Amino acid sequence: MIREGFEMENSGTLQSRSANSRAHDGDAALMRRIASGDETALAAVYHRYAKLVYSVALRVLRNADVAEEVLQDIFYQLWRSASAFNPSRGSLSGWLLVCARNRAISRLRERTGELAAELREQTVVLKMNLEDDLVQTQQISRVRAALEKLQPAHRQALELAYFEGLTHTEIARRTGEPLGTVKTRLRAAVDFLKRALNP
Amino acid sequence: MNGHPQFEEDLDLYALGALEREEAQELESHLETCPECKQKVEEARGRAALLALAAPPQDPPRHVRERLLKQIAGRRPEQRPARLAAFWQWATPALAALSLVLAVWAMALRTRNKELYRQVRELEGTQQTMNAELTRARAVLELLTAPDTTKVTLVAGEAHPAPQGKVFYHPRRGLLFYAANLPALPSGKTYQLWLVPTHGNPISAGIFQTDAHGNGEVLLPQLPAEVAAKAFAVTVEPAGGVPQPTGPKVLVGLTA
Repeated sequence: MIREGFEMENSGTLQSRSANSRAHDGDAALMRRIASGDETALAAVYHRYAKLVYSVALRVLRNADVAEEVLQDIFYQLWRSASAFNPSRGSLSGWLLVCARNRAISRLRERTGELAAELREQTVVLKMNLEDDLVQTQQISRVRAALEKLQPAHRQALELAYFEGLTHTEIARRTGEPLGTVKTRLRAAVDFLKRALNP
Repeated sequence: MNGHPQFEEDLDLYALGALEREEAQELESHLETCPECKQKVEEARGRAALLALAAPPQDPPRHVRERLLKQIAGRRPEQRPARLAAFWQWATPALAALSLVLAVWAMALRTRNKELYRQVRELEGTQQTMNAELTRARAVLELLTAPDTTKVTLVAGEAHPAPQGKVFYHPRRGLLFYAANLPALPSGKTYQLWLVPTHGNPISAGIFQTDAHGNGEVLLPQLPAEVAAKAFAVTVEPAGGVPQPTGPKVLVGLTA
């Protein structure tokens, strides 16, 4: 299930990984070390993903204090329940991104969703390896470039859904568009990204 | 591959979190029974997650990391899986106690088993005895009721009250002897019953003692088969009996 870059055409991923030492263990290895109580492993995962998590939370919340809380909460949760992480069921980076977005939306909408069990229950298949700094930067560029190419109305619908946590009805209300149009735009936007991001 | 188009359209919207609550719940219950759509949702979630990368990159302040490391210091991660560990934590002493109870129970059963086995052996012995007694009683009855059984009454002179004996004899079924009014014997002496055949020496038909009323009996003694009897006699002999009569005859009876 984990597609950690080996499916990617970007050969830089493999090169940079093979040159790395223990400090650049794979996510699965780091999670095992965290589960056994290794604080340096948590620091390594934090170093790898804190910026992504924080950026998403801040984008959703637009409030640094709350975004910091979300960031700390997520990594504290990771520390506590690392043993529940099963790399065969999905990627850590994917889970962190989903978790960051969902928790930030929950805070935004004052929803108190049960997110503690997410690591166990929510499988995220991310066809992209984000373990390496350099690759992360490359992937961010790719996604941003793909989004830039979306029609503005499609991109707006997508961002309202993802970063504001709005349902299609709420998006329709917000933008004054018919519901069917919003759905069509969302699907079209996702399809476009699918093609743009698949190598 | 596209088995559920009605849901498939919505998988990406679901992963984006854009479905209404009711729509999402309907899809979720479908996912529980459809591994194919579940797999697609997991991939759709991955695609949606990539949108996170579109967020303007911002480095988190350093103090978040410090707060986090302070928060985890001295707190161990939960051991996996917490529920299972809790189960074993509870179950181990419970199982130990259970096996102790089972061991005690097994020992109790073993003791009870031995006791029952002993009782069965005892009952078997009793049954054998009863069978033997029954066989013997049946033989007595058969002898008494057989039409060709000889019946002889033995008397002694004119003594008062006269000692008396009765013999029931059948050459194949055996012999029964009942005596009455016999005087008590001194110690070291015994009564002995004799079968006197038509030819040859008397054959011992067993020794007997009398009770307080002078009654005695000899039932089905070991005798050679098919011996024609001329007479029966009772003598007084040394304790344990003798091969051939030596003492005084107290009762004598001739077959008819």
